[in-house]
Amino acid sequence: MVWPALVFAAGMIVFPFGYAAFLSLHEFMFGGEPRFVGLGNYLGLMGDAQFWNGFRLTVLLYVVSLGLQLVIGTWLGLLLARNEAARGLVRTVMVSPFMLPPVVVGMMAIVILDPGFGVANWLLGAIGIPPRQWLADPDTVILTIAAIDTWQWAPFVALIVLGGRLALPQDVFEAAAIDGASGWRRFRHVTLPLLAPTLVTAAVLRSVDLLRFFDVIYITTGGGPGYASTTLNILAYKRGFEFFDIGYAATIMVTLSTLVFGTVLVFARLRSSVRW
Amino acid sequence: MRRTFLATAIAAAAFAAAPAAAQQFDWRRHDGTTLNLLLNNHPWSQAMREMVADFTAKTGIRTRIEIFNEEQFRARLTTLMQARSADIDVFMSLKIREGAVFHRAGWYADLTPLLNDPRETAADFNFDDFGAALREAETIGGQLVGLPINLEGPLFYWRKDLFERCGITEPRFLEDIPAAAEKLKGCEAARAAGMTSPWAARGLRGAIPYAMSAFIRNLGGEFWKPDGSPGLCQPDTVRGIEMYATLLKDYGPPGALNHTFTQVIELLGQGRVAMTHESSNEFANIMRFPNRANDLGVKVLPPGRETGRSVPVVIGWGLSVSAHSRNKSAAWTFLQWATSTEVQTKLVAAGVAPPRSSVFNGPAFRAWTDELPIRRAWADALVEIARTGNGVYQTKTDRIPESRDLIGNAVQQVVLGRASARDAACAADAELARLQ
Repeated sequence: MVWPALVFAAGMIVFPFGYAAFLSLHEFMFGGEPRFVGLGNYLGLMGDAQFWNGFRLTVLLYVVSLGLQLVIGTWLGLLLARNEAARGLVRTVMVSPFMLPPVVVGMMAIVILDPGFGVANWLLGAIGIPPRQWLADPDTVILTIAAIDTWQWAPFVALIVLGGRLALPQDVFEAAAIDGASGWRRFRHVTLPLLAPTLVTAAVLRSVDLLRFFDVIYITTGGGPGYASTTLNILAYKRGFEFFDIGYAATIMVTLSTLVFGTVLVFARLRSSVRW
Repeated sequence: MRRTFLATAIAAAAFAAAPAAAQQFDWRRHDGTTLNLLLNNHPWSQAMREMVADFTAKTGIRTRIEIFNEEQFRARLTTLMQARSADIDVFMSLKIREGAVFHRAGWYADLTPLLNDPRETAADFNFDDFGAALREAETIGGQLVGLPINLEGPLFYWRKDLFERCGITEPRFLEDIPAAAEKLKGCEAARAAGMTSPWAARGLRGAIPYAMSAFIRNLGGEFWKPDGSPGLCQPDTVRGIEMYATLLKDYGPPGALNHTFTQVIELLGQGRVAMTHESSNEFANIMRFPNRANDLGVKVLPPGRETGRSVPVVIGWGLSVSAHSRNKSAAWTFLQWATSTEVQTKLVAAGVAPPRSSVFNGPAFRAWTDELPIRRAWADALVEIARTGNGVYQTKTDRIPESRDLIGNAVQQVVLGRASARDAACAADAELARLQ
């Protein structure tokens, strides 16, 4: 009885994507009728500075956030694996950030990072560092957003790593210790290779989420200042829902979806190569 | 015989009266219907949520109200309308922004036949009571597509007490504002009173043109050239852009580029800024903060010194019926009630400027404005913007939100110090030309 699954997949995945692909081949403003333009929208995309700016920001946000989350998450996960006593309580606390709705995270970030009365600048001032503009500075806004996402999702990676580490056979680590391998060498040559499939799984889950990251950016900056945080998702939303240019917005989203599928495929390959 | 005569007489009278009764408007004609309303987060909508029980009591029509912030409101509205959904019966719409596009899409129900039908429209509705300009704004292609619910535009608010403490006189010309900001910046008494920035205004890209337009026009500039092409690069327009950007950059609060009216009003209400150019609509919200009713002044943005010109922005939201609604007649009943003299008189207390002349000039509104000098000043400013205002604050195009976004981006580049006002304006003109 696979047909319910097939019907579901067709209705919920194939049709929406197919319709988006159909729209991307048309010039279509809200309220009008679609006009077929072939690959015209895609060619327009290639010459659109805002698209390339959005592409650069999407990739930058992805690389910085994923890197930070994997490093901090792995460190936290391994720390927890060693400390059995604190595990239960800390695990509960760590779940809290990613249980929060994005709207709450965004509003919290706005209040904490407000350049005028936010606690972030107050803390910096207390140790003699001049205040920062955080979300209002085009040079730091994307890094600030990456930091917000890392705060929310590094614990998620940590929990995955913790689960993966606890499932590993203990005798391998004991053998490495008997052979005199130091902490770093044990991590580098034993823990990391054994954890690699777990880390790839965490990376896939976070990749999909990061590449379609929208809500917190929309709430905190709306894509600004200037276009400094207008990632492809924000750009597509603005083109579609603010400027009513649905055909072009669909083109951006189909391109972004291709990027997401490509990334997942790369990780799927990577996962089979690190399997043990 | 006598009884037969009486019965015949009554039957004859009833027969004669029947056509007249059928032609009369009946508020309870749609008793039991449910209407879905999609509204923008606005003082009018908030007040309406409180008052709508009166409508149900009067008509028997129940309502489901959804209120969203402006961007989310438009996203939901356009999605539903594009899908030709009958889920929305009544919605708010800013005709000056989206009227042409929505009308072309056929999303507005034509209200003209309903207005002209005595069975559909209350005898005392008095459509002519709305100002001619407001009626015109709600009429597109000869069709009535909505009823006006308010009148609004940005006004200049300033802290009279801080000006007095710092020995600064009330700005009479636009050029006095940067000078006053400079003095306030160096005034210890203002800082001691809690002021952290002399000035605040909208810095979010798409929100900027609404607050900046009068800076441009009062200095003699315009958004377009005489031939209709984009004209931000014209010298007087550049001066207006420069003044707006400089005020934000040198005298505005930190993080101003992420600010729209919510942050600006919060800063003004809390006493952290001394001046702003913000919507007349927010008057009631500002007055809720302690002391602001006593220490604030409000008026139309002063004219340019050399031009003597004052061209404020004036817009008005309207209430429309969806062309896809299955309850158009009931929806029209709601529109009549919501824009009636009785309801508008009550809305005054919520700070909603009434579009009906009879209410604006009526005893209730006068009594309310006479209670506080600042209310009187606010009402006077509204009269002035209604008389001299302009509702177009972007280049000539149907792609209005996109045009405003590009203009706002030019201002942001100046505030960020990434371009001079002239360079940013000229670069924006090239982009804006694509939208024509």
